[in-house]
Amino acid sequence: MKDERIERITNQIVEQFKRSGYEVDAKEISKRLRLLIHEFKVPESEAVKTIKNWLAKELDIPREKLLAEAPLVKIADITKPGQWVSLKAKVVQLWDSTSPSVSQVGLIGDETGIIKFVIWAKSGKREVEEGKSYLFRNVVTDSFQGRMQVNVTRTSDIVEIDEDIQLPPREIEVVGALVAIQQNSGLIQRCSICRRAMAKGVCPVHGKVEGYDDLRVKGVLDDGENVYEIILNEENVKALTGMDLEKAKKIAAERLDRGAVLSELKARLLGRYLKVGGTRGGRYLIVNRVEFLKGVDRKDVEKLMEEVAV
Amino acid sequence: MNFRKREVARRIFSYEFNRSTYRIQPEEDKAPVYVLTPLGMRCNRVFVVGALLDKEEVKPDSGVWRIRVADPTGAFRGYVGRFQTDALDSLMEIEPPELVAIVAKVRVIERDGRLFPALRPESISVVDSETRDYWIYETSKRTLERIRRMEEKADEDCKLAWQIYNPNLNEFRQVVKQALATLLEEFELVGEKEEEFEEKEEFEELEEELEFEEEEWDLTDILGE
Repeated sequence: MKDERIERITNQIVEQFKRSGYEVDAKEISKRLRLLIHEFKVPESEAVKTIKNWLAKELDIPREKLLAEAPLVKIADITKPGQWVSLKAKVVQLWDSTSPSVSQVGLIGDETGIIKFVIWAKSGKREVEEGKSYLFRNVVTDSFQGRMQVNVTRTSDIVEIDEDIQLPPREIEVVGALVAIQQNSGLIQRCSICRRAMAKGVCPVHGKVEGYDDLRVKGVLDDGENVYEIILNEENVKALTGMDLEKAKKIAAERLDRGAVLSELKARLLGRYLKVGGTRGGRYLIVNRVEFLKGVDRKDVEKLMEEVAV
Repeated sequence: MNFRKREVARRIFSYEFNRSTYRIQPEEDKAPVYVLTPLGMRCNRVFVVGALLDKEEVKPDSGVWRIRVADPTGAFRGYVGRFQTDALDSLMEIEPPELVAIVAKVRVIERDGRLFPALRPESISVVDSETRDYWIYETSKRTLERIRRMEEKADEDCKLAWQIYNPNLNEFRQVVKQALATLLEEFELVGEKEEEFEEKEEFEELEEELEFEEEEWDLTDILGE
């Protein structure tokens, strides 16, 4: 059991160096791994790092080159935390970062799936834009609240690519009730520098800055079996309620209260059935189309009635 | 921080809900409390659409309001207190009777050794009849699925429900039938009127069994957050 683990890690290291064109001695690596992991009880990730550093020094490989070698994987392959990988993915959605230690947070996707990503402020990496595709090099997989995510750290690299990465082809349709609308919905203010949502005129990154208005609803769609977190942008909100940003501003001005917009949206959307077409990623549903459900089909009711065999 | 997945809002008719008295005690602290229904479903949160029949302050100036919401199979009871600000705000604006959609937590209240399920609403909103119709359809569908699973004794919760409630599944089928009939009536379909009439009488009797003095309830269970 223990030796299987050593063998697995050894193979990973050997493979990685082979890809960069270096032959390394598997026996020597296993020996050192056994010493570090079994004798000295060093955590696996530290042991691997130590051995890679040693090999890099032995073979005189520049550190950067070695770091660039995290294997290119697809999002569906990410199942374990603590793996260094590279991904080609499109930024599907950016969320508000609530912590100053997080530069950006949101969802990225490729044709095999969608996953949450976090760019740590400490990483000092460039910011990404929604809808653009990037190569995320040397990001580390992690598990947070029971779900997989990837973290962009100091040793990672983000390169914009020309390719338009496709999202999972299967679009799902969910009919569910909008059972909750979060407080940071309605007429919100975004930072004019980074477009993050601001709370009370303060951007989590840039502090007290000029903001601009936006309209959105963050909510929970529930079909009685599953819950989906959804974000409705101005266009979606307008399609459902007829309220656009201008109308929202007018409501806020007339009532002398920006919160009036949220109350109005709650009154018109909460407890309603929505038909949402979109792409599913984890507990999120990326909205492509949204409309109110129009009543119930007579044929469906009759069919169900037949099923009630009494 | 211990972060939990949001509880799904289950679709359930008042007929099944009002007979759900068995609490599944959480295995660890702060885990959600579930109520087991006679058809073997665990629920912690529900989504209900029906007619708000009345709202009444339990005692003058208590800030606690008792509501009754009817679906085609009976009526839900619920209590809205000052901790349920969103629900209370909207409730104050609504004059019954009115069609409402309610997202609520499920509570079981104990009184004189008897247990009564009640709603503790998180949000209440006025909706149209199309929303109500779809809810009846959807809830019928889910209820039939549960009946099927009970027949198959599909999982541990179904087995537990058999043990605790020993439900008469035909009774629940009748309830679904009755609910669906109200939809078909709307489509101006002539149904089996006589049979329906008999069913209705039967349900009224069953409802009576459940009546009790609500004023005497110990409300501490539902009012805390």
